[in-house]
Amino acid sequence: MDIRRLEPRDLPLIQHANLENLPENYFMKYYLYHALSWPQLSYVAVDVSRPPRTPYDYPKIVGYVLAKMEEEPSDGVPHGHITSLSVMRTHRRLGIAEKLMRQSQLAMVETFGARYVSLHVRVSNRAAIHLYTKTLGFDQEKTETKYYADGEDAFCMRLDLTPIRDQIPDQNGDDAAEEAGEDEGEPVGDAGKAEGGGLPSRPKEQLRKVKVGRALGVQGLVEKDESKHS
Amino acid sequence: MPQPLNAKENALFRQVIRNYEDKQYKRGLKAAEQILKKNPKHGDTMAMKALIMNQQGKTEEAFALGKEALTADMKSHICWHVYGLLYRHQKNYEEAIKAYKFALKLEPDSHQIQRDLAFLQVQMRDYQGYIQSRASMLQARPQVRQNWTALAVAHHLSGDLAQAEKVLTTYEESLKTPPSKTDYENSEAVMYKNSIIAEMGDYEKALTHLESIAKHNLDRLAVMESRAQYLAKLGRKDEAVKAYRALLDRNSEHPDYYNKLIETTELDPNDLAARKAVYDEYAKKNPRCDAAKRLPLDFLTGDDFREAAKAYLTLMLDKGVPSTFANLKHLYGDSSKKETLGALAQEYLDEKKASPEAEKPAGDGAPKGEPAGLYYLAQHYNYRLSRDLAKAMEFVNKGIELVPNSVEFHMTKARIWKHYGNTKKAAETMDQARNLDLKDRYINTKAAKYQLRNNESETALKTMALFTRNDSPGGPLSDLLDMQSVWYLTEDGEAAVRSGNIALALKRFHSVYNIFDVWQEDQFDFHSFSLRKGQIRAYVDMVRWEDHLREHPFYTRASLGAIAAYIGMFDGRKMANGLNGSADVNGEDAAERKKAAKKAKKEAQKAEREAAEKAAKQDPNKAKAGSTEPVKKDDDPNGLRYLATAEPLVEATKFLAPILQFSPKSIDGQIAGFEVYIRREKYLLALRCLNAALAIDATNPTVHEQVVRFRQELDSKLASLPSKVTEVLKSEFKAIEASADLKAYNAEFLEKHKDSASHVISAIKTRKLLGEDAEQCEKDLNNVLSLASIDYETAAEALSLFMQWRSSGADAFKKASHEKWPEVTLFAS
Repeated sequence: MDIRRLEPRDLPLIQHANLENLPENYFMKYYLYHALSWPQLSYVAVDVSRPPRTPYDYPKIVGYVLAKMEEEPSDGVPHGHITSLSVMRTHRRLGIAEKLMRQSQLAMVETFGARYVSLHVRVSNRAAIHLYTKTLGFDQEKTETKYYADGEDAFCMRLDLTPIRDQIPDQNGDDAAEEAGEDEGEPVGDAGKAEGGGLPSRPKEQLRKVKVGRALGVQGLVEKDESKHS
Repeated sequence: MPQPLNAKENALFRQVIRNYEDKQYKRGLKAAEQILKKNPKHGDTMAMKALIMNQQGKTEEAFALGKEALTADMKSHICWHVYGLLYRHQKNYEEAIKAYKFALKLEPDSHQIQRDLAFLQVQMRDYQGYIQSRASMLQARPQVRQNWTALAVAHHLSGDLAQAEKVLTTYEESLKTPPSKTDYENSEAVMYKNSIIAEMGDYEKALTHLESIAKHNLDRLAVMESRAQYLAKLGRKDEAVKAYRALLDRNSEHPDYYNKLIETTELDPNDLAARKAVYDEYAKKNPRCDAAKRLPLDFLTGDDFREAAKAYLTLMLDKGVPSTFANLKHLYGDSSKKETLGALAQEYLDEKKASPEAEKPAGDGAPKGEPAGLYYLAQHYNYRLSRDLAKAMEFVNKGIELVPNSVEFHMTKARIWKHYGNTKKAAETMDQARNLDLKDRYINTKAAKYQLRNNESETALKTMALFTRNDSPGGPLSDLLDMQSVWYLTEDGEAAVRSGNIALALKRFHSVYNIFDVWQEDQFDFHSFSLRKGQIRAYVDMVRWEDHLREHPFYTRASLGAIAAYIGMFDGRKMANGLNGSADVNGEDAAERKKAAKKAKKEAQKAEREAAEKAAKQDPNKAKAGSTEPVKKDDDPNGLRYLATAEPLVEATKFLAPILQFSPKSIDGQIAGFEVYIRREKYLLALRCLNAALAIDATNPTVHEQVVRFRQELDSKLASLPSKVTEVLKSEFKAIEASADLKAYNAEFLEKHKDSASHVISAIKTRKLLGEDAEQCEKDLNNVLSLASIDYETAAEALSLFMQWRSSGADAFKKASHEKWPEVTLFAS
């Protein structure tokens, strides 16, 4: 098993894994939209032990997490969102899903200053709910009725990423990164305090908003996805 | 020059443009008509009208009008721009680029035209053109950082790395105040620059640059990985070791970090204990880490391996991890490890059975150890390299006895049946597994796949429909198409081939082909999107991946299916003509095709009628909002139009070309290429494929047969070919001498490979081809069943050769095969 960042060439087999495992599917452009908007946030688990069948074999994807930043957070707080997470049935109970999620969460904080991460899960999916609440510590926020196309309800969950924010400096063992971490850590904390209400004041968020305001050629994708759930 | 309009009409014209932009097409058309009533030859208005009509789906009329507009006003940039847009809409980017260039010549300052042109150029990989476009866009707006980055990307993609770096540096130097620490665009742009420096191979400079930007960079992982890489390349070992350790602390499931750490630590490669110690350290640090515990099994040997493997197996099986075998099977390439793992699993199981009391877990439900052991052994004996299907079945049945509702055991049982060749029982058993967990799509997918393997297309689609969105008029299949379910389309196509439904098979293979077109097309919007998002490295990765998109095995597999189907179609028609005598060239073949075309038309009409009825029945209140785009419907759902093609080999070549271009090392691709080109009498191309196949595997049985056929074909055709072609053919075809006795050559091949069933079959096929005694050939083909090396799959090849010969021996062969392999579904019916 190899857990690493998603690369564009992984996409056909990520889409394949998604189609095999989950009822919520997406066309290629939607995966591209994630891979090219937030390349740091999506991770794959690769079965490196498969003997190749052709000289052109692609790494076999046995698990993936497809993640994003919320483009226009309604609460104004920058946060990540898990679009899709799955692990092949043949590779369950190796802790892959948890490991994928942890890598993604770390990057959400480091790269995009996420304060929390949210996701939806089918109310009947006990294994996933267990993973999110027990292993990863998500809170169950509310229930969204008939969220899924087949009429099933979804639990909205969220995980506060503050602990990751606090632990970033010592996460990086080597000197250079350590310095960087400390330097970075300070102003973020100050800015948060200055605002009082815990609302973000990092200039980056504002910058991102400006970009979002423009007409994006790929924006249609977001709507398309949501229509799947409507 | 735009033709002048009076003030009122000018206002109207502006309204047309506004209406077009607001998608108020009907209004726009009305306004355009008003202008044209007074100025029937007003080019710009005609062009805008064409554009609107195009949006309404009237492509052909739009093109005709667009052309007319151009003849009315050749000097209008609007007319050329629209012409370019029409081509772009058709995805004819080459023509679109030409039209845009004319438009830009007439209106050099138009930002819009320049922009559109630039993205067409990069889509078509016209990098020189793209550099030019980006340079002039930069000149027009140098204050926008995107324009600098874009020019750098253009140079980078064109291969001029130094220039790319220079452009990025020029912009950085022009900044008066340093960008904010959290400016994402800046953070990414400097990392992009760093990756270019490294790509040039100057790691010293790359490292210095990286150290200068590392502090505030937002892509922490990329900084850490690059730094470790540069340090290692520069031989700064101590720092590199530290850097790789930091990466392992972050992600201990990435094998590459361990490898690099060990490499830079310069451990004695023979000191396996020291190597293992590195992994042990991380296993201790991260109790939940799998890689640190498992990777040493790759290099340990003998007793050390046994000890480590035992620890790992015990740990995993005690926890009841079902993926233990999947995690270890790569070790089976080493036969001693294979034996050891099998023995260890058996030992484990015996121990568990001997002391069932120890099994009682503390309140955690059912026991895990014994079923996990059984599960491992069932997979062990089901695996290609350690296969003993009877034993596998024994273990799996014990497992089912123990845990009757286990999806895993049933799934494995289905796989065992598959390996027996019993597609029927495999499909049934997988469906049982599916019924044990109706909420899991994975097992549902497997059940559908096994149904397809058993040629039950309809049942499979019903199974798939349990998880697809079925509310569109096209039903589950249309969801599978929309969601680009390549695996399903390919498997369904292959099932259709086996069932003799070539039309449907082609339909499916074409839809896979089209999906790859869409995937290539998908990048278009990202040429501008990525610049706005500022994610440049990911964008460059994507462009490079798209450059060889069709090397994906998904493409090759579906395309090989299509090529074989088209070749079969060609041969079938040729044989039909041959039987009728050559005088009647247009006889049966043409009649067949006419019949197919007629049927296709009928089906299309039927589909149209049904769609209309369905649309009429639909609740108007529930009609999709904003469905301005005409709904596409398939008027050839069964692929009859593909079956009616007059030129199957041209169609086959369409599928073939990308395989030869992007997957030249695929021997199946080269073999297929030969088959297509020799039928098209393109001997040089056929020879190129043949030589490529020989270079990949000179002993491949099919290649042997092709070599002989090529010699034979050349002997009869060489005289009629242009002298230049003959010359090349003579000098490049070296596999068999021109004077060689082909029968003797073939006999020699047979003698050399007489123990290999597939080689023997190929030699017999070749003998028949060379006109040797047919009866003897059939007799010999029948005898392959007694070869020690024969398996049921090779026997199936022999059977299909019997069928190809239209030999009466087929039935007897099938019967004999059935006796030899009673479980194989193919021989049973």
